[in-house]
Amino acid sequence: MRIVVTGMGVISPIGSSVDQFWSSAVNGQGGIRKITCFDASGHRSRIAGEISDFDPKSFLSGKQIEQTDRFTQLALYAAKEALNDAGDLSGYPARRLAVSLGSGMGGFSTFESSAIRKLQHKSVPPFTVPRTMANSAAAWIAAQYGLKGANLTCSTACSSAANAIGTALDLLRTGRADAVVTGGAEACVLPLTISGFEALHALSTGFNDDPEQASRPFAIGRDGFVMGEGAGILVLEKEQDAIQRGAKIYAEIAGYGCTCDAAHIVAPDIDGQVAAMQAAIEDAHITPDAVDYINAHATSTPLGDIVETRAIKQLFGDHAYTLAISATKSLVGHTIGASAALGSIATIMTLSTGTIHPTINLATPDPECDLNYAPNTALHKAVRIGLCNAFGFGGNNATLVFKTY
Amino acid sequence: MTTENIEEKIIVFIASKVENVDPATINRSSDFESLGLDSMDRVQLLFDAEEIFGVTFDDEEVKNFSCVGDIVDYISKHHSADQSPEA
Repeated sequence: MRIVVTGMGVISPIGSSVDQFWSSAVNGQGGIRKITCFDASGHRSRIAGEISDFDPKSFLSGKQIEQTDRFTQLALYAAKEALNDAGDLSGYPARRLAVSLGSGMGGFSTFESSAIRKLQHKSVPPFTVPRTMANSAAAWIAAQYGLKGANLTCSTACSSAANAIGTALDLLRTGRADAVVTGGAEACVLPLTISGFEALHALSTGFNDDPEQASRPFAIGRDGFVMGEGAGILVLEKEQDAIQRGAKIYAEIAGYGCTCDAAHIVAPDIDGQVAAMQAAIEDAHITPDAVDYINAHATSTPLGDIVETRAIKQLFGDHAYTLAISATKSLVGHTIGASAALGSIATIMTLSTGTIHPTINLATPDPECDLNYAPNTALHKAVRIGLCNAFGFGGNNATLVFKTY
Repeated sequence: MTTENIEEKIIVFIASKVENVDPATINRSSDFESLGLDSMDRVQLLFDAEEIFGVTFDDEEVKNFSCVGDIVDYISKHHSADQSPEA
């Protein structure tokens, strides 16, 4: 049984449609700017990949806006795009339509603002809990579109969307659903999350006056990740069903692997990453040398990019040097629980267009990062099989395999 | 602020919170059900009213609210109490 992608939607710092996102990515136009959504002057990291022109009023009622956190609003926007793109799903029974979404932090904006009110001895807004809960976005997508089957939310930090998409694949393979709306959403460009990641020394702090240079995976001088926000949604179905309803098919999703380091809560681990990629490749019934492209996790932290490079070399051997690799986070920053959804969309667009978006800000690579990361300029190359990597706090590693269709 | 002024402001406020209701039809006797406000909507409405009108609703008294007039009367009463001289 083959599972295919029949719809895509995205909202990101570099575009609010798949076309806009992909055009910016291919042209190397990044979206990292100085933070504008709050006064970041007291922070060491004052830059982010914000979606500055997002207006929920353009598609949600006042009441819906009142009852939803920003991460849910971004998810609803991307879901609207993806479901419009997928076309008519009304031939499926509503109970066979599922949602599998990822988010690392959930409604953290609501949590933060309500906590401030509580600490100021003010009353707390009544929708604090339903806006904050991690499954809020999945539930709202279901309610908006009448998707009455399984409704799952995966929260595995920065690999959330990869595990959500992998779970969607499993729901279809095991016959628990006929179509799944899947992906991830995150909106945590917020004082508390920025402070928290600063305290871990995980964020870039040396490019506050030159934000566009800050997210620089694999490059010399990288000093941490840049916070981003966004949502990416895919619609997955069984191949035969998609053909039968005349759907446009972007790609096949052929494999999924996930592992846990079971070691350090934040430090990456080569063996766990290798095992996730290997499991995904075996799940897709291919061999490592069949892989043409990797959309790397590549957050732009000093250690993370080296560990991922080593993991790729360990698994692929000499073939690692012939692979094309790119880092979507160089363009949008790290969208945490949405990042693998944006990475998956970039991978699918790579497969369907034969263009590999560049890793920007890669003038001088770190000597320990010596693979082909498509530095600064898009590559044009037929890509038949692409991987999307996502590694998260908690030692979570997940890899998805996409094939041209 | 006179009671009439408060009533007018509250009705304008409630009109901004309801959907698919002609604001011109909202008056003191409009009940929450006819305005399409479910129990969670009412809780949100009163929370917003607290912010705007500077009052704190008593949880027990709120249980007996059924129409716009109940909110108007409560705010009129407590708003004037808040305005008492040099409290």
